[in-house]
Amino acid sequence: MSDEQSLTFAGGEVPVTLTGAADAPRDLTYFGFVPAHDQVQPSQAQAVKEIPRVLAGRYRIERLLGVGGMNLVYKARDLLHEQYGDPDPSVAIKILGEEIADCADASALLFSEFALTRHLQHPNIARVYSFNMEPECQRGFITQELMSGLTLDKLLCERPDGLPWSELRDIALELLDALAYAHAHGVLHGDIKPSNVMLDNYRVKLFDFGLGQSFGGVLPGLARLSRERFNAWTPSYAAPELFDGFGLSTGSDMFAVACVLFELACGKHPYLRVSSDLARDLNLGRTLRRPRKLPRRCWPALKRALRLNPNCRTSNALHLYDAFNAVPVRGVSASFG
Amino acid sequence: MSAEAPWRSAARTDAGKVRSRNEDALLENSAQGLWAVADGMGGHLAGDVASQLIVSSLADLVFDGKFVRHLRDIRQCLHWLNRRLGQELTVTADRKSSIMGSTVVTLLIEGNHGACVWAGDSRCYMLREQRLYQLTRDHSLYEELIFEQQMSAEQAQQHPSSHALTRAIGASVQLNLEVLEFEVCPGDVFLLCSDGLYQYLDANALSRALNMDSPEAAIDRLFANVLQSAARDNISAVVVRQ
Repeated sequence: MSDEQSLTFAGGEVPVTLTGAADAPRDLTYFGFVPAHDQVQPSQAQAVKEIPRVLAGRYRIERLLGVGGMNLVYKARDLLHEQYGDPDPSVAIKILGEEIADCADASALLFSEFALTRHLQHPNIARVYSFNMEPECQRGFITQELMSGLTLDKLLCERPDGLPWSELRDIALELLDALAYAHAHGVLHGDIKPSNVMLDNYRVKLFDFGLGQSFGGVLPGLARLSRERFNAWTPSYAAPELFDGFGLSTGSDMFAVACVLFELACGKHPYLRVSSDLARDLNLGRTLRRPRKLPRRCWPALKRALRLNPNCRTSNALHLYDAFNAVPVRGVSASFG
Repeated sequence: MSAEAPWRSAARTDAGKVRSRNEDALLENSAQGLWAVADGMGGHLAGDVASQLIVSSLADLVFDGKFVRHLRDIRQCLHWLNRRLGQELTVTADRKSSIMGSTVVTLLIEGNHGACVWAGDSRCYMLREQRLYQLTRDHSLYEELIFEQQMSAEQAQQHPSSHALTRAIGASVQLNLEVLEFEVCPGDVFLLCSDGLYQYLDANALSRALNMDSPEAAIDRLFANVLQSAARDNISAVVVRQ
């Protein structure tokens, strides 16, 4: 800047007040996460095939709803349905992200997600409609139910101390019912976390089976993630054995769902948000304490599901459902009893 | 100009002359009195996606209460996005960097109440009675070296990572937003912009552009000026005035 003196910082001459007390820096950390300005990408770099505004001549993209490790989720309008007078032609579109779109297996994995989810017909599991290819950018995409409401990560941001038992119980029962159903139908989710659970009109919807897989001979022809070649997880919710190279299991889903339920109960992650392999190495299992708002009778089952040793994680989705279901909401039990 | 005159705005974003993609995103919502610029972190995972998600999430906010509540909603939304882009992100084991992040600067105006909420080095300027004020302080290592460690500007410039950000949405578990509340006066003109704009324009050039009669003319002037430079970064600007 050649003329610095004519710049005045806030708090100087203008009547401004700094009011960032709640957000004042606590521990200043220096991150080198932006390259210096001379590190620019050359313009001759291969042009990226961008996602067109209308996918496959039919779905008009309206806005970005979310991002995953491998996919983007958009809100879109189904122009065909709209043409025939559908009063609600909105859908959600899940399309392969740019980084992975070039991988030959990526579309097959996305199709697996579609087929796994379609296999599950449950009121607490989001529905998928169709699998398609976008010819222009050569990417597969899924159309699925557009949900409105709060994902649990957003709910946790609004309720940083967690939920009272009555609300927690409602969410837990629907979520565990969905998970028990998926497991009973030979489908593992693989990436349960707060942002993959939506509260849609007070109904829980589990979604994003993108890292999921079938087991027990269900849907045998589907492609699945070869975890030796390509591993993916959400570090705060992945069970420790996944970091050791073991495959998904009902036990790894239980660990993830138990982390989510614990967090809903008190607003805090059970293992201080460190990845579970580190939690195991630090022996954090010994420090686990029952969240205050969680009824005592639920704790043994939840604690078993949170075990860092998979062999000790003996709680399944039905056990946990039963444990939560056994404790009524206080007002209700009084009125009936 | 009366205090009740409606706020008008104009906005533009451009990839610049060198970069093949634009990782900036902007929000222009005069009806709600909310404007924003987000600059996705280059060299990291899908910086364009991070900035787009920030802008589309801010665009979804519905304001129907008091100023303080709107301000709280903006902050809550940004804290949620920090979680979404950080600890909620599915990562692949072989990925070198799993950071998905973006700067953000927002301007909220209602009546004579104004506020900036920001993280990172995108800026908000205000032109008041022919004087240009920079309302936001960059969250960059350069600024921290000067303000926290009392280095001179020259010394700080020597630091190999002086441009590195110290705060951004998605970059760390704990996000510390900075908030500045101020009284808005009739005639104030505001500029939100990414570093791709301000690093090439001095305060005189900014002031001259913001003095133009309409926000559109101001934007035209700013872009004409910056595109005469090397314009090595993405360029975004929003101009707001009554």
